[in-house]
Amino acid sequence: MARETPLLPVEDAREAALFFVVAALCFLAALAALSAKSTYGAARAWTAEVEGELTVTLQDVDRRAAEDARKLIESTDGVASAHLLSKDEIDELLEPNFGNRGLPDSLPLPQLIAVTADPHVPDMGPTLQRVLTQAGYNSAVDEHADWAGDVRRVLAITRLIALTAVALLASTAVAVIAFATHAALLARRDIVDVLHLSGARDRFIASLFERRFWVLGLRAGAVGALLALGAAAAAIFAAKAHGGHAGLLPELSLDYLDLVVLVLTPVIAGLAARIAARITVIRALKSMM
Amino acid sequence: MEPMTLSRLDPFDDIAVRLDNVSLRYDTSDDVLSGIDLSLKQGSFTFLTGASGAGKSSLLKLLYLALKPSLGEVSLFGRPTGRLARDQLSAMRRRVGVVFQEFRLLEHLSAYENVALPLRVVGRKDADYRGDVEELLAWVGLGKRLHAKPPTLSGGEQQRVAIARAVVTQPDILIADEPTGNVDPEMGSRLMRLFLELNKRRGTTVIIATHDLGLVRQVEAPVYRLNNGLLVRDVEFGGDGAAGRRRTDPAKAED
Repeated sequence: MARETPLLPVEDAREAALFFVVAALCFLAALAALSAKSTYGAARAWTAEVEGELTVTLQDVDRRAAEDARKLIESTDGVASAHLLSKDEIDELLEPNFGNRGLPDSLPLPQLIAVTADPHVPDMGPTLQRVLTQAGYNSAVDEHADWAGDVRRVLAITRLIALTAVALLASTAVAVIAFATHAALLARRDIVDVLHLSGARDRFIASLFERRFWVLGLRAGAVGALLALGAAAAAIFAAKAHGGHAGLLPELSLDYLDLVVLVLTPVIAGLAARIAARITVIRALKSMM
Repeated sequence: MEPMTLSRLDPFDDIAVRLDNVSLRYDTSDDVLSGIDLSLKQGSFTFLTGASGAGKSSLLKLLYLALKPSLGEVSLFGRPTGRLARDQLSAMRRRVGVVFQEFRLLEHLSAYENVALPLRVVGRKDADYRGDVEELLAWVGLGKRLHAKPPTLSGGEQQRVAIARAVVTQPDILIADEPTGNVDPEMGSRLMRLFLELNKRRGTTVIIATHDLGLVRQVEAPVYRLNNGLLVRDVEFGGDGAAGRRRTDPAKAED
């Protein structure tokens, strides 16, 4: 038996244009969602890493005195470990500023101690500063958590912007689909009238448009999600290809949550299209007797 | 086709169509229809005539529930339509077959699919109605054009598809706007026989709007005439031999 012809004819040109617009919106929305999620992940990972990290700078001391200070620090409550940086390690740290030929021996350098403390112990910086000062050291304690807070605030704002973009893009997609449904309804008013006068219920007529736009939303959403996946993969590849300087960028990786976002994109697009179509058609039909 | 019986009609409602003081105007125009009273019994056969622009199509639109009157009440099968819920209106429209003057066939569907449309709309399966639809199309002379799309059909063929679509559900009321305007006299007579058969064997209330006085003369049936938005009854017009004995009664048009 031949397959029934759809009661709504396919409108290639109009639907191709709408498909393109919805796919582009889904691409941008998926990308914004991935950015929001990756910013959140990066903020968590990065701040978890630096919180509890401190650097102690000792001026006017030789290596032996610095080693005594290290032991003193390590014996302080809340400190997990303390490591006195060697000359080579300091050279490596300063390599971006002074090149890879090392620092001249005549250049006076402070002694540096990298401290790892329990991030849940409050005021670790002032505590170490007080202990070292009481022991007679000329020291400065740099607590990474101080500027981790700034980074966290910046990342929170970035995340908020990304989520706002997701919401705006999703709303735009719904508005575009509602507009397109209305245009399709007007263009097919003749068919709607005949169906209506043949006794078709409003929900039957609406279901024709719903089905059409559900499929369109699903397909356009899938294309948008695939493009977003490609763009994210390209960004990760580019970041890794440029040699690990992506440390200050949001964490660029794809995990299962990103895949959930990408899988949900076409489903949400399809549902939004379907709901927009239903509301538009039902409202338009109510203006008819 | 299923046996033609009156079982689908409500036995307690004798009146199929009733208009009480109905007026209609579009936007700010003058009344297109004015103070119309009309009552048609179930199983009646009625002609509606009038000059172009007299309001025939507007009156038919009120009857097939495409428009609401500006004033007054339209009742079908004993129920005032103005107070019905949307789903109830849809259910009522399913009992009314309409042949539109401009046919209103769906151009992307075949002749077969156009005729089957009212059955598809109510959720019936193709396998259930295929035989009936093919038989009906054969009856109107389109048995070999089942799969032709409307743009490839002549005006007369399109009209026959439109008529087949209107009668395929064996409606309780059949409303036809110039149903034989595009067919030759032989096919016109054949289509009239179809309407009469539905009327006599099944009790379908038939209302035909036409300019074709030849068509009117074929059937002994009351004729109503619209003139400047007013409905009057041509009391003795109808059937062979009625011509020449025509007179007009301006009183309320009651069948």
